[in-house]
Amino acid sequence: MLRASAVCEEAGYPTSSLTCEGFLRQAVAISVGLGMPNIPVALVPGHVGTQSKDELRRNILEVTVERVIENLTRTLAAGSGNAEPGARDIIFKGGFKAVNRHFYEKELSDGLPIVPPTQEDVEAFLRFTDRDSNEVLGTILPDQRAATIWSIAVNGVMAGCRPEYMPILVALVEAMADPAYGVEHSGNTPGSDTLIILNGPIIGQLGFNYTQGALRDGFMPNTSIGRFWRLYLRNVAGFLPRKNDKATFGNTWRVVLAENEDVLKKIGWEPNSVEMGFRAGDNTVTIGRYTGGGAFSSVSGSTPEQMLPYLVDAVLKYHTWQLLFTVSVGNGSLRPLLVITPLIAETIAKAGWSKADVKRYLYEHARLPAWEFERYLRDWTIRGVWNLEEEVRLGRMPNIFYESGDPNRMVPIVWKPEDYMIAVTGDPLRNNAYVFAHNGFLGYPVGKRIELSRDWQQKLAALES
Amino acid sequence: MPAVNNDGYYEVFWPRSPRQADRKPVAKRLDTLEGKTVAQLWDFLFRGDEVFALLEEGLRARYPGVRFVSWRDFGNTHSRDEREVLARLPQRLKELGVDAVICGMAC
Repeated sequence: MLRASAVCEEAGYPTSSLTCEGFLRQAVAISVGLGMPNIPVALVPGHVGTQSKDELRRNILEVTVERVIENLTRTLAAGSGNAEPGARDIIFKGGFKAVNRHFYEKELSDGLPIVPPTQEDVEAFLRFTDRDSNEVLGTILPDQRAATIWSIAVNGVMAGCRPEYMPILVALVEAMADPAYGVEHSGNTPGSDTLIILNGPIIGQLGFNYTQGALRDGFMPNTSIGRFWRLYLRNVAGFLPRKNDKATFGNTWRVVLAENEDVLKKIGWEPNSVEMGFRAGDNTVTIGRYTGGGAFSSVSGSTPEQMLPYLVDAVLKYHTWQLLFTVSVGNGSLRPLLVITPLIAETIAKAGWSKADVKRYLYEHARLPAWEFERYLRDWTIRGVWNLEEEVRLGRMPNIFYESGDPNRMVPIVWKPEDYMIAVTGDPLRNNAYVFAHNGFLGYPVGKRIELSRDWQQKLAALES
Repeated sequence: MPAVNNDGYYEVFWPRSPRQADRKPVAKRLDTLEGKTVAQLWDFLFRGDEVFALLEEGLRARYPGVRFVSWRDFGNTHSRDEREVLARLPQRLKELGVDAVICGMAC
């Protein structure tokens, strides 16, 4: 909303931005990032989602109207901007505990001890990339800071990464800066967190876990790179809790999910990297934001037809309000992610099914009665001002969402089979699955190729010797 | 025996990087809303349709000559094509003779 207001202000139109009580601090933080620290907001008391019509009426007429008038007609005091250090300034000198206290008090760490980012360690990271340390990969919203190679190295050190992870960190920040991902939405209400999917030979070279406990901390590359992502979101994008990060609940970062490419190769399924447009064997990262997810235990059966109904049911149970991203607001950006173990994948593949066949099955069977689909958004959550009939009539959604006026007709939850994503990892000999509920265009899946430095093999060998 | 200091000594860098946004002034405010045209921009969330209707009522009570351009004339400002929508906005506001904007909803 404030991005729209800033565009109007810059074009010469005074604005008033309607802001519920719980979002006032976020508005201040965002306005600084937009370069307009005094952009005015109008208080909407409480939260509109829980107010009766009478309460809403009283709040708007007795409070908000006056604030809107003030915003549009009274000259605003110039906002203040705080002076900041330079990009390569030493900001603190001292012992380990004092450094950590300083970083925590200045909101530069996540609450766990950080590795002090010293010249020596930062330079060790920079040796694992051919990119110039001053190179800017993009400007990261909402703080609008430069995503430099240097800042990647500093945050990589802090997260506890090893220097050789640097090419992966660079690829991740390239993905973060890609407009298709929508990093600016990373502080939104659901508190979704990014999942990083890793593909390619680098999984084995750097010792990522891709078997039992694949999403558990305890494996340095998986864990520290996941932590790096969150630190970079804090320090460069600017997502600090109670400011730009308005997660209602949130959770800690997700560790990197590395696919089991050994099994994929054996059963003839393409890795996620190929689904994202890369060649098999490329080292790649894929990022997407997920509102949550859950494990589904004991997927039983010896054929796809016996196993998949349970997985269809699991996908449906985890996507409710997220249907917002399927309607025109989200422009069909919902991409549910199904993670299955090698044992399940092997059992399905044994029947001759490809990944594409599984996606087709999910598309054709993960369906809801139209009335239930509409109820989630129109009655239970955002109270949208639309219906599926109008969406289809105006060409905003595929025809399959309104093939008749029967409210009991079954409609899919995504626009096309390819919207489903499937990853294979986890304990090879167990028959379990995990469904990640997707956050639509507020974290749309984006993939990037990992560029290794010219003498990558020699540098790795030097580390081992 | 004196205690050994195992805390080390570190000179550490700033993990942020410079902001890229130039400081920009906000627009000049209006003398009054009387006789002015106010646009409604909405992200199609959080009961904005009801809120804008109430704001119209409250503002008209104070400024009988105020006019409104409905959120329906702009579409959703917070959809997947937000960048394109916002890029077109200044021209659209000009075409519609808008003087000021109310933007919602941050909830």
